[in-house]
Amino acid sequence: MTPASGKEIVRKALAMGADDAVMLSDDAVGGSDLWGTAVALAATIKAQSPDLVITGTQSTDAISGDLPGMLAEKLGIPGLTYARKLEVDGGRVRVERETETGYMRVSAPLPALVSVTKSANEPRYPSLKGIMGAKKKEIKQLAAADVGLTVAVGTDGAKAQLTDLATPPARAKGQVIQAPDAAEGARAIVQFLKERKFL
Amino acid sequence: MQNVVAFIEHKHGAIRRSSLEAATQARTLADQLGGKAHAVVAGPGAQQAAETLKKYPLDQIHVSEEDRFIDGAVDAVEAVAKGAGSALVLVGNTMIGRDVGSRFAARVDCGINADVTDFKVEGGEVSCVMPKLGGLVITTCKLTGSGFGVAAIRPNVFAAKETSGAGEIVQIPSSGKASTVTVEDEVEEAAAELGVEEASVVVSGGRGMGGPEPFTTILKDLADAFGGAVGASRAAVDAGWIPHGHQVGQTGKTISPQLYIAVGISGAIQHKVGMRTSETIIAINKDGSAPIAEFADLLVAGDAFAIVPELTKLVRDAKAVHA
Repeated sequence: MTPASGKEIVRKALAMGADDAVMLSDDAVGGSDLWGTAVALAATIKAQSPDLVITGTQSTDAISGDLPGMLAEKLGIPGLTYARKLEVDGGRVRVERETETGYMRVSAPLPALVSVTKSANEPRYPSLKGIMGAKKKEIKQLAAADVGLTVAVGTDGAKAQLTDLATPPARAKGQVIQAPDAAEGARAIVQFLKERKFL
Repeated sequence: MQNVVAFIEHKHGAIRRSSLEAATQARTLADQLGGKAHAVVAGPGAQQAAETLKKYPLDQIHVSEEDRFIDGAVDAVEAVAKGAGSALVLVGNTMIGRDVGSRFAARVDCGINADVTDFKVEGGEVSCVMPKLGGLVITTCKLTGSGFGVAAIRPNVFAAKETSGAGEIVQIPSSGKASTVTVEDEVEEAAAELGVEEASVVVSGGRGMGGPEPFTTILKDLADAFGGAVGASRAAVDAGWIPHGHQVGQTGKTISPQLYIAVGISGAIQHKVGMRTSETIIAINKDGSAPIAEFADLLVAGDAFAIVPELTKLVRDAKAVHA
């Protein structure tokens, strides 16, 4: 789901090894909130009838981490999130789900959605062959109507509407203390912690 | 929206602090909206957790002992929210909280706001304030529609306060559904009581630590002296010195502890975006001109391997005097 300008990103995915690419590109989905994004992506994904849907955990700008769960729900399939390891075996997908203190082993029957964390793998570099091949591949561009999207998403359909955007006050540069003597450095920190009532 | 439903995350009955923050904030918002404050607690140990919740200012505490991981929690939240008629659902912005909040929002087709640090209530409508782009902008988003909305609150921002208000415990009828996801087992790799998101003091190590050992020794000791948690920069996680769950920054967690101590961390933008909203930042680094000097309240330039153990000792001594 991207404006037409995102085509090169999709092509990179092809160069990295994807067989096929589909792009939902329509002004009607521009400015979607999380709900609208989930609805539009789910409609697009459903049309591909996948056995397994793999997503990242969160975008680096909004950092919400909510889309995988919303997509699983909208697709009506089990969602296994925060996977650091994943394997498919005999019609089931098994993952190691990260927890605060370790991990859980969880599994579900296919079709299913898995969101992976950065520990899952190292993204490969596109090979020269991949890059050349990607140039020849057709990227299917779909509009909202092509995926049967009937409800209003985009800015107008947003259920979480942006009403204000502000710049936070900058953090002031603090104090720098040179501490060739470790004990002195530690004492300076303790003094600071006392001033701030941490101790 | 009139009522507020706090989803309570717990482990065998022990409630996470961010959920107690959600329970307390539910009361504040319910009063502003003129509705009721509900809590939902699901899974094995829910009954025990409900007893703890009696000390929080809730009208009703809804309990389901059904053991269906995320599915059971989403069903329970849905049942209570729908029973209330209209409701804002509060979850902690944690891994489980996000899973439950996001699935509920998709199920009932409502808006969801992530990583909320403040609320504004006006004319029965709820707006959420959220730092985005790593805290470079502060956005305000209004939850539209009169039915439901979800807000995932950033841990450590809202207060958790015990009161004398004894909420009524209500059992949620069994759904009789089977879980779509099977939990096979759970492995504990660290004995940490608190994750980096919830700890009020976080001691993080970076590339300057040179290996895995400091994370379980000098950094851990300093964190323990404060009752805090150990965090890490991406460099330390990528090097395999500490699991990803501890990573603070763009591809890890965004946190707002009261005190953040960065040890051997230069302060690259990818790290900064995960911790710049900490109340107080102290850096210990061999280089006094590292980028972190630009936003740390105090940078002590010196040998971290000597300073940290000395600091731990002084902190323990200071705490012992007060104890």
